[in-house]
Amino acid sequence: MKLQVMHRTTYVYGEAVTNSHHEARLSPRDGEYQRALAHELVISPDPRSRRRRFDYFGNRALHFSLSEPHRELDILARSVVEVSPGRAPRLSATPAWEYVRDHLRLTRTRDSLDAFAMCMPSPLIGLLPQLAQYAAGSFSPGRPILEAVRELVARVHADFTYDPRATTVSTPLDELLTHRRGVCQDFAHLVIGCLRTHGLAGRYVSGYLLTHPPPGRPKLVGADASHAWLSTFVPDHGWVDFDPTNDLIPADEHITVAYGRDFSDVTPIRGVILGGGQHQLRVAVDVQQLG
Amino acid sequence: MSADSNPAHLPHPEQERLAQHYTALPDVYDELKTPGGGLRPHWQQLFQHLDALGPSGLERRWEKARHLLHENGVSYNVYGDPQGMERPWNLSPVPVLLSADEWQRVELGLKQRARLLDAVLKDIYGPQRVLLEGLLPPELVFGNPYFLRACHGMPVPRERWLPLYCADLVRLPDGNFAVLEDRTQAPSGAGYALENRIVISSVLPEAFRECGIERLSLFFRALRDTLHALAPHNRDNPRIVLLTSGPYNATYFEQAYLAQYLSYTLVNGADLTVRDDHVYLKTLGGLQPVDVILRRVNDDYSDPLELRPESVLGTPGLVQAARCGNVAIANPLGTGLLQTPTILPFVARLCQTLLGEELLLPSVRSWWCGEPNALHEASDAFADVVVRRAFAEGFAKPVLTSQLTSNARQELLSAIEARPADYVIQEHVRASTTPTLMQHTLTPRAMVMRCFAVSGRDDYVVMPGALSRTADAGEGTEASMQLGAGSKDTWVLSRGSVTSFSLLPPLDRAVPLSRGGSDLPSRATDNLYWLGRYAERAEGVARLARVVCSRLNDLINQNELSSNGELAALLRALAAQTSLSYTDNLPSALPLDFAGAQAQLMAAITDESGAGTLKSAVRSALRAGRLVRDRISTDTWRVLAALDDELHVPAAALQKEPLGTLLDVLNRVVLRLAAFSGLAMDSMTRGHAWRFLDMGRRLERAMTLVMLLRSSLTHSCEREAPLLEAVLEVADSSMTYRRRYLATLQVPPVVDLLLTDETNPRSVIYQMDALTRHLEALPPAPDGLRTPQERIALGVLTDLKLCDVERLCSGGPVGERQRLSQQLVELATRIPALSDSLSDRYLNHATLSRHLGWGPGAEELRPGESSGDEP
Repeated sequence: MKLQVMHRTTYVYGEAVTNSHHEARLSPRDGEYQRALAHELVISPDPRSRRRRFDYFGNRALHFSLSEPHRELDILARSVVEVSPGRAPRLSATPAWEYVRDHLRLTRTRDSLDAFAMCMPSPLIGLLPQLAQYAAGSFSPGRPILEAVRELVARVHADFTYDPRATTVSTPLDELLTHRRGVCQDFAHLVIGCLRTHGLAGRYVSGYLLTHPPPGRPKLVGADASHAWLSTFVPDHGWVDFDPTNDLIPADEHITVAYGRDFSDVTPIRGVILGGGQHQLRVAVDVQQLG
Repeated sequence: MSADSNPAHLPHPEQERLAQHYTALPDVYDELKTPGGGLRPHWQQLFQHLDALGPSGLERRWEKARHLLHENGVSYNVYGDPQGMERPWNLSPVPVLLSADEWQRVELGLKQRARLLDAVLKDIYGPQRVLLEGLLPPELVFGNPYFLRACHGMPVPRERWLPLYCADLVRLPDGNFAVLEDRTQAPSGAGYALENRIVISSVLPEAFRECGIERLSLFFRALRDTLHALAPHNRDNPRIVLLTSGPYNATYFEQAYLAQYLSYTLVNGADLTVRDDHVYLKTLGGLQPVDVILRRVNDDYSDPLELRPESVLGTPGLVQAARCGNVAIANPLGTGLLQTPTILPFVARLCQTLLGEELLLPSVRSWWCGEPNALHEASDAFADVVVRRAFAEGFAKPVLTSQLTSNARQELLSAIEARPADYVIQEHVRASTTPTLMQHTLTPRAMVMRCFAVSGRDDYVVMPGALSRTADAGEGTEASMQLGAGSKDTWVLSRGSVTSFSLLPPLDRAVPLSRGGSDLPSRATDNLYWLGRYAERAEGVARLARVVCSRLNDLINQNELSSNGELAALLRALAAQTSLSYTDNLPSALPLDFAGAQAQLMAAITDESGAGTLKSAVRSALRAGRLVRDRISTDTWRVLAALDDELHVPAAALQKEPLGTLLDVLNRVVLRLAAFSGLAMDSMTRGHAWRFLDMGRRLERAMTLVMLLRSSLTHSCEREAPLLEAVLEVADSSMTYRRRYLATLQVPPVVDLLLTDETNPRSVIYQMDALTRHLEALPPAPDGLRTPQERIALGVLTDLKLCDVERLCSGGPVGERQRLSQQLVELATRIPALSDSLSDRYLNHATLSRHLGWGPGAEELRPGESSGDEP
């Protein structure tokens, strides 16, 4: 499926910003099931210094800085991506989760090492005992790993309420577990934490999702949002994505922009500004199917 | 014949030998004595010298050294210390001695270990062979918060991943050394080792000369050469800065000291800025490129953009500048990774595989509990081991299980069993002991030796010497400066002749002439300006208080002071000065009593809460001075430090004879302050640093004088002569006045002398004139026009020049001198406005930076949220 994404971020500052440094991760990755056909990042004011690189996880990052005073910063990312559905694994045919756990601990290939790195705690995901406890019900002995994860994801979807007002970027996981309300980022972090406390790999994925308007209503432009989900690693199969917010295994309507240990590794735009006073932030996302 | 001049080698006849009653502890290695009780050969010469001095001679010399340390302000900051932030440096007069053979083994071991860790870092931040081949458990990298993913694959200048290396060594009972801890990220202590050496070699100059001790300076030369060679650009003349973690860091003294010794600019993160992926130093003269950063900020705090977002110590964009190869950072960002105790158990294996060599200098036996069987092996000896957190670097105190109750020990063991990967267990080693002087006798104390190496051209260069630290009590090897233990100079005996060398450049190399000063960071400017202001503020209030004090002393037997208009006016001036604000309703006509006046005087001197009291002005001057330690001479600093000491007035003396004691204190303070300004005038080059210090003084002096005149002369009273005399005395202008006008005291000539006489260095107009000239010498406004500051200063100056003093002072014999009052009110507004304007233009660069995206206070729409605008 060919999808077009427009992601516009605008900062309006109360006072002039005299110097700023930014790092953006807004360019979709290339992967087995996804190919970026076209991409552009339009930044205004035009930064004098602009450097692209691949980060530690292979995500596309853009580093730019502005040293002329400015009162507004506008970043528009436009991408066209071809997405094909992954080979959906037969969940019950995957190895027992304990086997995967031990394999990760003992195998020293590049892939397994990178997956093992996703079993460690990270800045926003501590390995809390409460997470292990919550997840334990799904991880009965000998259960095929993806069957267990699928059930865990379904439980999170059933137990938690989607509520943007309940949490912020920095709400810790134990609070989320108590109040059971949050957004897709929280649910992804939660499931990742559950996996890691069981010695399994959990990777945070940031990206977009093609949304469908309610039956009989036109699709609104700009009403979409960036999205977050997770993947877990199965030896001989690779990484398999799960979307706890929508209780599904992503197919060809999810666009992967970047992945990392948690949100802090893949923040779409981060920056440090000098000056600026109070600022307002506007974000608009639109995902359209092409052709 | 005094003990000092007694020739060496001859023990003092009537005194005992120092080492005679020194008994080594059982089961540990003693540095001084053999198990048989004899002196080890390499200590003998030193002890001949010590015996020649005798305990009292040594004590005398030591007293001198302590004085020197105190005056030099050598200190170590202790976090959370209730006694205040700065702790004096606790140095012992008896050094630690190592023979040439012993040292050679240590040196070879340190070089090998440094080479190895350099290779490990290069690998982990590159292909990660050590993980793929199973030499290091992956958890130690991926679960290590000091593994900085942003630095993976980064080019490192000259492939030097570990330009500086430092290790804490202990000597085991078998006489061999082992590493207690490797320090790889921002090794500290070399500066303290140097300061220790300077002090001890001056306490024991004969012994130092005759024992043949290796010099430390070669190490510092290698350090300088290495940093120079790392510069990616400006290879001929790179700008090297020392990035400090600031005055609250434990080792700030050392950082400032090293910067001065190595002639690097001391900067903090906010002094630097990144533009177009290059690092610059913000100075008065504009942005100056920086080529090399000697880093004393932890790597994860170095860049709030890509590393810890909450860091206020770092410079946004620094990682990117390093990634582009535009700046060399020593040690490179990310090297903190190996500074966790988890690495210790694996060093031997890594050495065999990566270097193909047997490890020469082993780690103290350690187990990372995340390894299968490690906990099992270690738990057998759990009753007496050291438990450390795996990734908590620095201040997490190691736990000695032998000091725990059996319940607490069991709890700890359960905690480890629950999360084994979070712990490292270490053998509790019995460290060697070394003699330390305690109440005139030598006592054995456990010691840890911190050694330093720098990556030289071909191999590492090891400092021939060390910073040794001793434990407080006879036991425990976890000596750390942080825990308040003692420190020792460490002498390495030379095999042949000693190379003397000084860090001054060799005579045969042409040094490019320089009259620089362009590297003055804006922040240093700010602190120098305030140092000038506070020092002058202290002088103003001290002079005024001194006059009040002596007048009170004259009136000691009178209870009713209301009739004394002079004293009332002086007290009004003092109240205004100590609160830094003039108000009309100060006690001018109130009944004055002696006790109240004395209490006010006392508060003006010793109270720390008022903004303008002597105590708080001195404290503030010290604080500002500490931030520019690298910019002011040692002598100047000593004067400042001594000032604070003067204000510790003994309570008993104060009780017995309050006014006499205070008068003494004030006399000494005024003298010290005069020494301070004299040193500043005479020893500072006429660059921006001096200019800002002097501008601070001028501005403050003008403001103080205006305040004094407002409080004393705007209301006329009947018998003015004594008041005029007092005012002249406060303003240090009595002599000039008397010479000109003999004994005739009148208001207009006094006002002329203090306000509008351009030849009097104490007058307001003189300060304005000096300020105008300073302002003209500063970098001009971009449009070439006069800056707002120049305009204010010139305006005030011109008004004062055109002032008609006779007319200004005219008015009724009793009542307000309205014209004078108006003029002074105007000055009291315009001069502070000049200060504000000056701060805005040159000093106030400390605009806070803020974060977008992720981090404290960051604002960012999260995935799943949208403000729903048109894209």
